Amino acid sequence: MAKKKGCLGCSLPVAIILVVVVLAVIIMGALAGPLGRAFGVEGLPSWMSLHTPHPKLPADTIFHIFNFPVTNTLIATWLTIVVLVGLFWAAFRKPGMVPGRLQAGLEAILSWIYDLCTSTAGEKDGRRFFPFITTIFLFIIVSAWLALLPGFQTILVHGADGEAELIRSANTDLSTTLALSLITFFTVEFIGFKRLGLGYLKKFFVFSGVVSGVKMLFTKGQQGKAPLELVSGLMTAFAGFLELISELVRILSLSFRLFGNMLAGEILLMMMAFLVPYLIPLPFYGLELLVGFIQALVFGSLAIVYISLAVKPHEEH
Amino acid sequence: MELEAAKLLGAGLAAGLGMIGPGIGLGLIGAYMLQGISRNPDARGPMFTNMILMAGLTEAAAIYALIIAILLIFVA
Repeated sequence: MAKKKGCLGCSLPVAIILVVVVLAVIIMGALAGPLGRAFGVEGLPSWMSLHTPHPKLPADTIFHIFNFPVTNTLIATWLTIVVLVGLFWAAFRKPGMVPGRLQAGLEAILSWIYDLCTSTAGEKDGRRFFPFITTIFLFIIVSAWLALLPGFQTILVHGADGEAELIRSANTDLSTTLALSLITFFTVEFIGFKRLGLGYLKKFFVFSGVVSGVKMLFTKGQQGKAPLELVSGLMTAFAGFLELISELVRILSLSFRLFGNMLAGEILLMMMAFLVPYLIPLPFYGLELLVGFIQALVFGSLAIVYISLAVKPHEEH
Repeated sequence: MELEAAKLLGAGLAAGLGMIGPGIGLGLIGAYMLQGISRNPDARGPMFTNMILMAGLTEAAAIYALIIAILLIFVA
């Protein structure tokens, strides 16, 4: 291996100049921002001064189609769909036995998700629910990564009520994440009912202990044991009720997890770009890539875990 | 106390106190994954995937606190 002289792969003077330039850019950026304002730096050129960012919670309406408001997050959702469809159409339009580069990459991603499904839900169920999980995973990860591109939150247009950004990350709108988690919830319940019939409800309404306790209360010779049986039966019934509550809370937790992570990422990037405009926000973009992947993975694996729990018959205690 | 000040104070407290638990949790997850890897270095791959998953779930608890803070500032 050839030994490199100097550091960072450059000769020493070039490296020193590079470091000085990087430091100068960072310091100039910091001085133009709120730090410089706090220290009272004046006389910087006007293009360097920054506007204070205003994070917004609700999505802005851009225009209406037949009285249906079209928000900027909805436009990002359409964009995500177009990108996904285009990508897969380009890759699998003429699928070959010897895959091209794009096809091989997408096949690797799909087989990775397939392994995730089958390792959680078993061979048969994993194969059946693989399309659903893949759709959710790919939608979340593509919409999160698209939002890091320039153009998101930078193009201003005249919306329905005042100036608004044209495109904004799809999952920073609670409606999108709520829709995703409602789809997951109803899929899980539907699959549970389809697989187990009305027996699916046995998971939530467990009264067998209470009934046998009441029976004991009116049977001669067993009345001593009845209170204990009654109490344990009531506790099982209460556990079933808690199961029902936690089933409903899943909607909230799934939607708020995704929404909160995406919104926090957006605000974090906005704030870092405001505090130190140049170079420092770059590592945070890397962090957001990781967060988008993790959130897609968490949503997808939780969905497959919920499904595999729903199709499993409930054991009698 | 003025309403605006109370909102900001509440938001700061919600975010700050809410981060304590998930912080401890993330530390525990990292510690036990390192312990697991040092005991069985071959299991690094699946262990890392599961750690990322658990870290995402734990982090969500902090995100709930953050949402409350954001709601207090922008909506309340």
